[in-house]
Amino acid sequence: MAIMENNYFSKLKVLDFTGELGPYAAKMFAGIGADVIHIEPLDGDPLRQVGPFYKNVKTRDGSLPFCCFNSGKRGLALSLDHAEGRAVFQRLCESADLLVESFAPGYLAQRGLSYEILSARNPKLVHTSITPFGHTGPMAQQVGSDLTCAALSGFLYLAGVGHEKPVRSPDNQAYRMAEAYAAVGSQIALYGAQRSGKGQFVDVACIEAGAGALENAAQFWDLEGKIRRGRGKEAGTATIHPCADGYIAIVAIMGKNKVMWTPFVEWMKKEGVEEWEVFDDDKWIESSYRESKEGYDTFCRIFERYTMQHDKRYIYETGQGYSVAVTPVSNGKDLLENPQLKARGYWHSVRNETLGGDVVYPGAPYEFGEINWRQGGSAPRLGQHTREILAGHGYTQQDIDTLIKAGAIYAE
Amino acid sequence: MPNSFERALQGITVCDFSWVGAGPIATSVLAQCGAKVIKIESLKRPDILRKGEPFKDGDNTGMDRSGYFANRNANKLDIALNMGHPDAREVAVRLIKQSDIIINNFRVGQMEKWHLGWDDVQKINPRIIYVTMSLQGLNGPHSEYMGYGVNLNALCGLTARAAFAGQPPFGTGTNYTDHVMVPTHTLFGIMAALLEREATGRGQTVTISQLEAAISMVPSDAMAYAANGEVLPPLGCGDPQAAPHGVYTTLGYRKWLAIAVFTEEEWRSLKKVMGNPAWAEEQKFASLEGRLRHQEELDAHIEAWTKGQYSDWLMDELLKNGVKAGMVKDAREAIEDPHLRQRGFWSYLDHPVVGVSLYNRAPVKFSRTPVIMETPAPSIGQHTKEVLSGMLGYSDQEIQKMTGDQVLV
Repeated sequence: MAIMENNYFSKLKVLDFTGELGPYAAKMFAGIGADVIHIEPLDGDPLRQVGPFYKNVKTRDGSLPFCCFNSGKRGLALSLDHAEGRAVFQRLCESADLLVESFAPGYLAQRGLSYEILSARNPKLVHTSITPFGHTGPMAQQVGSDLTCAALSGFLYLAGVGHEKPVRSPDNQAYRMAEAYAAVGSQIALYGAQRSGKGQFVDVACIEAGAGALENAAQFWDLEGKIRRGRGKEAGTATIHPCADGYIAIVAIMGKNKVMWTPFVEWMKKEGVEEWEVFDDDKWIESSYRESKEGYDTFCRIFERYTMQHDKRYIYETGQGYSVAVTPVSNGKDLLENPQLKARGYWHSVRNETLGGDVVYPGAPYEFGEINWRQGGSAPRLGQHTREILAGHGYTQQDIDTLIKAGAIYAE
Repeated sequence: MPNSFERALQGITVCDFSWVGAGPIATSVLAQCGAKVIKIESLKRPDILRKGEPFKDGDNTGMDRSGYFANRNANKLDIALNMGHPDAREVAVRLIKQSDIIINNFRVGQMEKWHLGWDDVQKINPRIIYVTMSLQGLNGPHSEYMGYGVNLNALCGLTARAAFAGQPPFGTGTNYTDHVMVPTHTLFGIMAALLEREATGRGQTVTISQLEAAISMVPSDAMAYAANGEVLPPLGCGDPQAAPHGVYTTLGYRKWLAIAVFTEEEWRSLKKVMGNPAWAEEQKFASLEGRLRHQEELDAHIEAWTKGQYSDWLMDELLKNGVKAGMVKDAREAIEDPHLRQRGFWSYLDHPVVGVSLYNRAPVKFSRTPVIMETPAPSIGQHTKEVLSGMLGYSDQEIQKMTGDQVLV
């Protein structure tokens, strides 16, 4: 469907001054048509240094996370350590609807660019900050990383069982969670701004995003005085099992839900799995049995004898045919070859002129009746759009050249 | 509720057919921001999370003791509406007429069966935002497939690399996709449609594919495979940009300290805090490349140093010296964490059955429009009478009759 003439997002101006932490928030806005400017320091966004890299070659434009999270944005480089650079930033903020940044608390204020100052000139501005610990509280000034935020929030503790050390999730999930909530918070604040004309400061902390993802662990402590860890050792209840070419995940039963278990038994029977009859017993309906060593070991012995003979794809499609919640533990290859994602045209392959080849991106996370999701152009090179952006903000070519010479901005 | 401050979503009404995990988390955030969220349940078909652990004092009698359910449903009004009864639709229609958002996460076709698919609802209220949350989209060969959060974690690529080398993958240990990836994208879609409505005057559909939303937050493995033809290795607790980077044993029962060293400056600071031991001066540890190459040996040295120490003291010392460090806190420690408490992240609400119990707000703080945890999770039908006789305009007599006829149960 065509983008409407009076489309809200095509008129929305977003400034994104983030690095390793933060870029997905503004990327979500770029996806629905907003004009997003990714601002970088003169020496480049640190995310440019983060792999994996395109063709395994570390170049300034080859970081795949950078390519992914900054596609659909235009790029501008300026120095906040330079008075003229700060003036450019302030001017950009005067006409922006939303600023998303991930500087340490106090960094912008020290440079005379606090929310109070920016909003005095542009009261409708929504200023969203994404930081490890947020702007208030005893840890606000501490340094943090994805791992340490995940650890302090209680989230990391759940990623293990018994005495095992916890394991880390890929793609910096403490950062990604905060970014996704920052995007949502920004929209909520924009909605308020649209109605009242008043923007506000939105403070999103990675530690809170992590603490919000404890599932029921906080309530386990509060209501039962129990400390829980991860799921994964209760037979057939969210367990992972090896197969011929990797692993599969299965939820064959939850609680005492026999309605779920019956199709699983049927599956094992029809596939002629040796000892399948052992599963045809009501003791499996009791979580206490499934949690026992005997239950877990028995389940693994029989089920894995079957799974080890087949690949992920076969087990996935066959088990689902019996209405069993079984899925592959997908790696990158599986995802690209996934028939469902292929059929829906999920992956977008876009030519990247700078890299001289195609980059494959995840597609739309949602579909709308009217709003068009778009992949957008390749992530910008450093300072790629500095000139056109500043010209659009009333700077002459001469002004721009002067700023470049002064070291306030960079344009390619 | 005092009205002295503005709520961001004041005046927004949500007709909430969603249940279990991701849907209720999304609508809970709307409710915390001031939207009026009306949860539609029925004694005939309660939200199954009401029977999800944990329960107050471990006692799962009744429908109101689950903390799993409660934390996803604060601030909501709850009406009992038996959609299996033919007269129930009219009540839903009256609610839809006054709603801005209607959301469900049923299997595809359920709303259509009640004649409440988009085509019908659009006619009832052209300004409404119609939200569906299918697992893998509305079409395609796997669109009928089923799965829980753990399945979706695995399917979307999150689980595969959450593994220690040589061991099976583990993942987050939770239904992560349900709690974060899906509700945040659902909320973003809803808010996009609400903002768009301000410009166009029309509502629209928001269709979430839970799988597709999830992948957008774990893109690296697939992108790297497409670019380089290689599957990325298990992550353990490592990071390709940092060393040491891991979780190290400290004193106590299941106590660990996370340490993440990205820069040479941080490495020098860590060495200083360790008392500049001789091993750390070896040439092989002098650069990030070297430390990554000898990671196992490096980690063994670090752990030999941490294991006789208290994680909290050590964390403080490291932070003071600019080294990123964080204790691996369990849920109790997170609840008692002074930082989270001071930021008002946790709330205690007085629930009529459970008593004073713990909730958390959305991880967003607004300077002007507060996020407020107001009322504990509702019982089934707790607000049936209030909603029907108030905003829906039913008389007491009609309500009584519909209750007798098993509509409002």
